[in-house]
Amino acid sequence: MSSMELKLTVNGQKIKKTTQSHYRLLDFLREDLDLTGSKEGCGAGECGTCSVFINGKLVKSCLVPAAKAEGAKIETVEGIGNPEKMSEIQKAFCATGASQCGFCIPGMVMAATSTLRNNPKASLEQIKEEMGGNICRCTGYQKIFDAVEMARDVINKEKSEKVFEEYDKPANSFIGANVKRIDAPSKVTGRLKYAADMKMPNMLHMQVLRSDRPHAKILNIDLSKAKKIEGVRGIVTCDDVPGIDNFGVFIEDQPVLAKDKVRYVGEAIIAVAADTLEQAKDAVNAIKIKYKDLPALYDPEEALKEKILIHEHYKTNLVKHIPIRKGNTEEAFKKADVVIEDEFATQPVEHAYLEPMAGVSYIDQDGVLTIVSPSQNITHHRHMMAKIMNLPIHKVRFIMSPVGGGFGGKEDMIYQGMLALLATKTRQPIKYVMTREEDIVSTAKRHPSRTKYKMGLTKAGRILAAEISMLADGGAYGCSTEGVMRKAAILGAGPYNIENLKMDTRGVYTNNTPSGAFRSFGALQTEFATESMLDIAAEKLNMDPFEIRRINAFVKGNITHTKQELNSASINTVLNELEKLASWEKGSPQSRGNSRKDMFSKDNRDACELGARLKTNGNGKRVAR
Amino acid sequence: MSLTKKRGRGVAASWYGIARTAAMDQAGAWAEIDDGGSAKISTGVTEIGEGILTVLAQVAADELGVKPENVMIGENDTSRSPEAAHAGATRQTYMIGNAVALACRGARQKLFDVMAKEWKVDANTIKAHNGEIWSEGTNYKMEMSESIHICKKKYGVIPVAGENYTSHHTGLDPVDGSGRPWQAYVFGGQVAEVEVDTATGEVQLLGIWACHDVGKAINPKGVEGQIEGGVVQAVGQALMENYELEKGRTKSGSFAKYILPTSLDVPKVTSKIVEDPDPLSPLGAKGIGEPAMVPTSPAIMNAIYDAIGVRIKSLPATPEKILNALKEKKQNGSRKFN
Ligand code: FES
Ligand code: FES
Repeated sequence: MSSMELKLTVNGQKIKKTTQSHYRLLDFLREDLDLTGSKEGCGAGECGTCSVFINGKLVKSCLVPAAKAEGAKIETVEGIGNPEKMSEIQKAFCATGASQCGFCIPGMVMAATSTLRNNPKASLEQIKEEMGGNICRCTGYQKIFDAVEMARDVINKEKSEKVFEEYDKPANSFIGANVKRIDAPSKVTGRLKYAADMKMPNMLHMQVLRSDRPHAKILNIDLSKAKKIEGVRGIVTCDDVPGIDNFGVFIEDQPVLAKDKVRYVGEAIIAVAADTLEQAKDAVNAIKIKYKDLPALYDPEEALKEKILIHEHYKTNLVKHIPIRKGNTEEAFKKADVVIEDEFATQPVEHAYLEPMAGVSYIDQDGVLTIVSPSQNITHHRHMMAKIMNLPIHKVRFIMSPVGGGFGGKEDMIYQGMLALLATKTRQPIKYVMTREEDIVSTAKRHPSRTKYKMGLTKAGRILAAEISMLADGGAYGCSTEGVMRKAAILGAGPYNIENLKMDTRGVYTNNTPSGAFRSFGALQTEFATESMLDIAAEKLNMDPFEIRRINAFVKGNITHTKQELNSASINTVLNELEKLASWEKGSPQSRGNSRKDMFSKDNRDACELGARLKTNGNGKRVAR
Repeated sequence: MSLTKKRGRGVAASWYGIARTAAMDQAGAWAEIDDGGSAKISTGVTEIGEGILTVLAQVAADELGVKPENVMIGENDTSRSPEAAHAGATRQTYMIGNAVALACRGARQKLFDVMAKEWKVDANTIKAHNGEIWSEGTNYKMEMSESIHICKKKYGVIPVAGENYTSHHTGLDPVDGSGRPWQAYVFGGQVAEVEVDTATGEVQLLGIWACHDVGKAINPKGVEGQIEGGVVQAVGQALMENYELEKGRTKSGSFAKYILPTSLDVPKVTSKIVEDPDPLSPLGAKGIGEPAMVPTSPAIMNAIYDAIGVRIKSLPATPEKILNALKEKKQNGSRKFN
C-alpha cells in the first residue's frame, strides 16, 4: 500500500503524519490519531456518525479522502469538549437523557454544534431539518431535540446554566427519581470505546468470504493464491473447528463457517486474518470457490410442502410449531352474533443498530480464549463456544463491550466463532468489524409473517372465540425462531379474556436471510393482527374502540390463554388513563376522521408540507432538504 | 389544510411478559460497601443503551444508602462477574435490578449489624440514605464514609454480599400450550394521530399518546426514552422500512436502500406511566423495552382507517399501498372493509 504525508490541524493541534494513500479522513482520524469518537455507522454518507468539521463546515468524514484534508483545520467531537469540560450542547445532551446506546451521539453533537453555530436562534423545525442527515435508532430523537433547544436557550442567555443540573434530588429514595444517566458524559464526548475502537499489540485483521448463492453445494475451495498473499497469517474453514460445530439461540443448527453447502446469501464460508485490513481483503478476493446451485426455497408456504429441504437431517422445514388450545372454538363460533375473518401480514425489518457487528479475540495470560464483543448474551455464547472449540467452559471468556444498539440483533453468535478459530490458530489478537453492507446481508431480521384470523363476538362486543394461525419465515437458520413463535403464540390474542382459543404459530426454514430476535419478538406481529381485528369488530358493532377493548380486558384473577391465573392486570387502568391523556372523543371507528373534534391539539408535531420535507436523490432515497 | 389531506386517530392496546419466556430465569449480583461511602457492584451487565447502569446505580444507592454517583458497576465478563444472562427479553431491570437489590440488602445488613453494636442500638433502627447513616429515634448519625471506616478498622468486617434473583416460569404444554411463561406482565395502549395525503398516499404520524404500566418506574425519564425510541422504531415498521429480498438476494443492502425514520418522520410523543407494582419481586418494577413498540403499528393503521376509510392489513403502509387501496375503495364504491 502506498503512503503519503499529511499536514493539517486537528482540534487545534498541528499534525504532520505519514498515512495510507487510500485512507478516508475517517480512517486517518480513527486509525492514525486514535480519535475514535468519530464512528463508522455506514461508510456511505447515510448516517452521520462520522460527522466532523473541516474548516468550520460540517462534513461526513467517511466520504472525504484523507488527502483532501491536507492543510485543513479539522474539528472532531474530542475537540468540542471532554467529560471534564463539556460544551453547552454536550451538557444539554446529558441533562435531557439524549444518549441511549450512544453510537450516534458524537455525530449528533457535531450536527447540533453546526446547527447552532450557523443559526444560534434555530427554531425546533429548523433544528429537525438541519439534523435530518443524522440517524439515531434508539432515542426516537425527541430528547435530542430537547437537548439542542436547551443548549440554544443557554447559549442565548435565555436560560441559566443551572438547567443542566436540574435532576431530581429526592429526600428519601432514589427509586422513581430522574437521576443523571451515569454513562452520558462518556458518550456525548466520544470517549467510550466500542469494540471497533479497540486496538491491541500485534493485532491482526479478519475478513470473511461470504456466499453469493442462496442455496448451493460447495464443491471445491482453492486457497492456494490467498495463502501466498503477503501478511496473511491464518485462514480457517469449517474443517478447523475442533469441537461440535453448531450454534443458535434456541436450536443449534448453524455452523461457524458453512459446511458442505450454503443456505443463504451472505453466509460465512472462510475467514482470513492478516497484518492489515487490505491484505485480508486481498486474500478473500483471491479465494476461488466452486459451487453447484441447488433448488431454493423463498416462500414459507412452499417450505411447508417439504419438496426441498434446507437442513436435510431434520427431514422437515418446520422449525417450530407452538399450539395453544383453550375451550372449544367451533361450538363458540356457533353462538357468536358476528364472525369476522381476515388476514394480516408483516414485513422483514432490519435492526439497523448504528454500531455494525465488531469484536476482538485473543488468548489471555492464563491461556483462556477471550472474545470481546457487543454480544447481548455472553452467558449462552460462552457455553456454545466451549462446545465448538472443545474447551473446558472456564477456558472460554466472553467480555461484553458497550453495545451500540442491539434490539435483539446481537443475540446471535454469528462472527465470534470465526474470531475464536483465528485467535487459536495464529495466537495473535484478531479484530473484525463488519461493513454496514456485510452486516445487513448476513445478520438476522424481524420475522416476516402472515396471520389468518377468525374472531366471533356477541352483539355486546364480547369475544367468544378466536382462531389465529401465523406462518413466519425463519430464513436459513433457526436463530430465535422457536422463541419468537412461542411469544407470538402466548401473547398474540392480546390482553383479553377469551374462553375459546385456537392459536398456532409456525416458523419455517427457507433460503432467505435468517430471521431472529428483534425487540417485541413475535408479539408485534400477532398483536398487530388482534388490534386490527378489534377495530374491524368495533366498526361492525357500532362500538367505541376503547369500549370493545375494556369489555374484553383481563382483570385480576382471570385465566390467561396459557391457563395461568393473573395476580394483577392493569389493562383497564391503562386504557382509562390513555383515553384521558389523548382526550379521546368517543365513537365507533367508522372512518370519522372528518368530523372528529379531538384532533389538532398541541401534542402533535406540525405536519410538513409535502415536497418541503423530502426530496428524492438519484437512488430513490428520501433525504431531507 | 388542503383537500387531499385527511386526519384520523386510532387506538391499540397490548400486553407483554417480562424476562425469559417459559423457562426459569435467574440473575446474580455481588455488592460491597466500599471506602469513602461508595459502592461496588459486580453483575453480568453492560449498557446496551436502555439506561440499565443508571437504574442499577439508583437501586444500589437506594438500598445501601450511598449516593448514586458513588456507585461503581463492574464490567460484564464471564470470568470475572456473576452470571446475569442476556441483555434482552425486557429482563434487565426486573432480573438484574432485583438481584442487585437483594445483594445490596445483604451487604447493608452487615454494616447495620456492626453499627448496632457500635451505637448499642437495635439494628432495625438503623437507616442510611444519600451518604449518611443514622439510628432512628437517637442522635446517632454519621457520614457513610466514617461508618465504613469503623466497620473495617474496628470490627474487621467488609460489608459484602452476593445474591440471586429467580423468576419462576414453566415451559408450555406441547399439546394445549398451558403453562406459566412469566410471573410478571405489563399492559399498554397508544393513540395515534395521522395525516394522510390522498393525492400522494403519504402518511405522516403527528402524535402518539402512550400509556404503559411498568410496575414501578425506577427512572421515569429513562422509561420515557424507551417509549419514544420504541415508537419511532414502530414508525419504521408501520410506514417505511422493508428488507426486500428477490430470490434470496437483498434489494435493501445498504442505508441508501433501506429507509429509516429520521428526525423529520417522528411524532410528538406524550407518555403517561402507570404503576401497578409487581407483587412478587422486591422492587415492584417490571419493564418497558419491548412493550413500548407493540401497540404503535396497529394504532397507526386504525388511525389511517379513521382518516381515509381504507384498512392496511399488510405492513408497511407505503404510499403505493395507500393509493392502491384508495383506488380499490373507489371502484368498489364501498367505504368499508377494503
Ligand atoms: S455517514 Fe459516514 S459513517 Fe455513516
Ligand atoms: S443513541 Fe442514537 S443510535 Fe443509539
